[in-house]
Amino acid sequence: MTITLIPDQPESPTNRPPSMHRLRTWLRRPYARHILIWTVVIGFLLLPLAWLMLAAMNQTGAPASEIMKDIEQTVFVFTIVSIPITAFVFAVLLYSLVGWKQVSGDEPPMQDSPAIRTNRIGVILWTFVSSALAFFLVVWGLIELAQITANSYGTISADQQPGDNNSVIVNVTGQQWVWTFAYPQHDGIVSNVLYLPIDKPVYFNVTSKDVIHSFWLVELGVKIDANPGAITQTGVTPNKEGVFNLRCAELCGMHHAYMETEIRVVSQEVFDAWTREMGGMRTS
Amino acid sequence: MSVIHNVEVPQPTQHGAAGGIMRRLNFGTGLAGGIGLAAIFGIITSQFVPTGASSAVTFAPIEGDLVYLAVLLGWVIGFMAGMGAFIGPIRWVLGREETHEDAEYMAGKDMGKSRYWKYTTDHKVVGIQYFIVTLIVFGFGGTLAMLIRTELGVTWSEVFSPSFYNAIIGTHGIAMIIAMIIVISGPIGNFIVPIMIGARDMAFPRLNALSLWLLVAAVPCLISSLFLGGMRDGWSAYQPLIAQAPSGVLGYQITIIVFAISTGVASVNLMTTILTMRCKGMTWSRTPILVYGIFAASLMGLYAFPFYQYSQILSLSDRIFNTSFFNPLEGGSVWLYENLFWLLGHPEVYVILIPSMAIMMELIPVFMRKPLFSYNFAIAGIVGVVALSGLVWAHHMYMTGWAPAANYPFMLSTEMISIPVGFLVLVVIGTLWRGTAWTRLPLMAVYAVIFNKMIGGVTGVYLSDVPADQYFHGGMFVVAHFHYMLMGAGFFGAMGGIAFYFPKMTGRILDERLGSIGLWTTFIGFQITFGSMFVAGLQGQPRRVLQFDEQFNISNWISTIGAYIIGIGVLIFLAAIIFSWKSGVVASGNPWGSKSLEWQTPTPVPLDNFAVLPVVTERPYEYGVPDPLDAELEPAPEEQLESAGTR
Repeated sequence: MTITLIPDQPESPTNRPPSMHRLRTWLRRPYARHILIWTVVIGFLLLPLAWLMLAAMNQTGAPASEIMKDIEQTVFVFTIVSIPITAFVFAVLLYSLVGWKQVSGDEPPMQDSPAIRTNRIGVILWTFVSSALAFFLVVWGLIELAQITANSYGTISADQQPGDNNSVIVNVTGQQWVWTFAYPQHDGIVSNVLYLPIDKPVYFNVTSKDVIHSFWLVELGVKIDANPGAITQTGVTPNKEGVFNLRCAELCGMHHAYMETEIRVVSQEVFDAWTREMGGMRTS
Repeated sequence: MSVIHNVEVPQPTQHGAAGGIMRRLNFGTGLAGGIGLAAIFGIITSQFVPTGASSAVTFAPIEGDLVYLAVLLGWVIGFMAGMGAFIGPIRWVLGREETHEDAEYMAGKDMGKSRYWKYTTDHKVVGIQYFIVTLIVFGFGGTLAMLIRTELGVTWSEVFSPSFYNAIIGTHGIAMIIAMIIVISGPIGNFIVPIMIGARDMAFPRLNALSLWLLVAAVPCLISSLFLGGMRDGWSAYQPLIAQAPSGVLGYQITIIVFAISTGVASVNLMTTILTMRCKGMTWSRTPILVYGIFAASLMGLYAFPFYQYSQILSLSDRIFNTSFFNPLEGGSVWLYENLFWLLGHPEVYVILIPSMAIMMELIPVFMRKPLFSYNFAIAGIVGVVALSGLVWAHHMYMTGWAPAANYPFMLSTEMISIPVGFLVLVVIGTLWRGTAWTRLPLMAVYAVIFNKMIGGVTGVYLSDVPADQYFHGGMFVVAHFHYMLMGAGFFGAMGGIAFYFPKMTGRILDERLGSIGLWTTFIGFQITFGSMFVAGLQGQPRRVLQFDEQFNISNWISTIGAYIIGIGVLIFLAAIIFSWKSGVVASGNPWGSKSLEWQTPTPVPLDNFAVLPVVTERPYEYGVPDPLDAELEPAPEEQLESAGTR
């Protein structure tokens, strides 16, 4: 086995300066530094939005379930991720108005601007960064989607629902303009207010008698359409006691605005008392 | 060596005056024909066709449906006949050839203002007509918007009955969608694009007139529906809710069916023109970006609108003939309707947005005196959006329970679309980069568009994501988001485009001061209205409701105040348009110092646009001087040569 030795040779001279040098030269230009600073400043100004959005969502007691927690986490992360790129675009916008030259007047300006036809590094960098961000958002979204599908028992079909004492099945029927909740495990008691025991998986079988409604448990982060002639499944495990909102989220005719009711998430004892009072048999 | 023979070309002989019966037809005869035939159809149907519960067969079960349908069809056919839309085909069947004089008459040669009231084929006349129709539809939709916000601002009582409120939200939606679709492709696509590519007219001048007058025929159908109970089901007109709707919904369906034909005709015409009629030397890499934008919008319209049309035809047939395409109790599917509808619904958004982005990219080089940054990247962005636009429709159906497994791929494709849209954003900010901003009204509109577009784009990312959409779907957040896209980007882009092309289209400059006041008032009002609407959405307010819990009161009050500011701003802008059109400063041929072809023609543009057809010899946007800062980074040319030699 022979080893070929490559003799040391002086590097062939390239007159293209090394990339670090080019970056340093570029950063020495005042506008580059200004825009970077402005981006950071605007980014920090936008940053509170991430919390303000959650504050607005939490006004009425959310998150009251693991699903809603996942949703809020997603909203938070997406806000954080989109702030740098938004801040950069806003910084360039602002700088192009007040930082670089500006002319007014009725006649077209005599002086033309530098003819920057393209910038290979800029284009590649932008494509790479925006694709990476999009890729991150997709991956995050897919994982979260799998997560909330599992948390809302979306993978369990109607005939697989356990129906034992450790879970509650609620058959939800939408009709213009009321929601009806039937509890088949409790002698089929029927209610217009959604009572749920805390920390127990709840399976919803949702359907409609007339038009499309949308079954929205606002603070629990559950939403699924109630379609006539079809049953859609979803579910949730409420983990916070309280009174929450249930609204219809699909235009369903004249009194769509009034098609709302209460969700009462209560302790197991209160739930049992309620079912007894409504005439259902005792569980647990 | 070739010999040129003098061959007598046989000319068709002229019978009577040029134009023939066309001379007697105008908008007046169109109205008369439409109303007349509508009355005839209506009387015949009401007298001789048994309908309603009394009829033996279950046919058009809702009282009055059939009569209204007949009236609408009579109006459309009669109006088109009265305008002279059928003259061409009839003459062709009878074997009468069109002479040169006929063609000139049809194009409105030497006819003064009356040509705007006729079935005129000249693309410049059609462009102006489109502009007027757009303003009318905007006025209609905008008035309804003010009514909606009034209802939502008055939180202590119901101003309108719930059914009328539902009617105005649906009608506002579809009126604005129609207006936004035509606002750039109509006036600017028809007036400017043929000149921009160096053609004398569109490829099919008569189809051009046809598309415009079909639109004019469709608009009264929509307005009439408000008086017959309206379409109370949102602009999406979901089944089976519309089965309960009063007859007014037929007005919506006929509008869509006719409008889809109009759009199809216009799309084919624009695409053919752009493909085949670019002047000598205008290769694809020398074609201005606006032309690409209009082409992309036409292409998407061409495949999206048939879905919409079919969905409405099937829906109409469910109603009139008791078929059950969408009736789940008789084997139909509500999800089928939703799919057909959103197969239109999403490409349609890009039909609106791409021309507005293209207008921006067309404007910035002129006002920044720079070439467009990375022209190829801009085309790649447009191609990417067009390619993905047809693959994302079911993101409107995440929560329908239609196919939970389909949520995964549709989330993927939807979030991918942010990459090509990002390309366009880079092109825009790259063109702004280090430019000298000539701060005129059109450029200011561009700034407004980019600002709104960023907010709309970022909020769109939340909605493209299934978990976040599970909270936002069907709520005010969605409403705020799409208004940022359609109004914030689309409408402000149209304002910029109109301000930019106003001198070419009307011969006068749009009043800078009044126009700017209008633009910025609208912009501020817009931020107030839809910014606080985001808050209402985050708090959990569903859309399309007229009453809501007290916690939403404050954001709705703010929203309503903002909406009135928008109303004032738009009226100021409209005043600027009207005053400038009547008595503005007369514009020279090229007031912006632009280098593209449309500004090289005299103003007003002569009938056949160019005395001699131009030849294009360079890329568009050849503005700018060599960059003085380049010397710092790039080696001098002789050094480059040396280094190449040593390698």
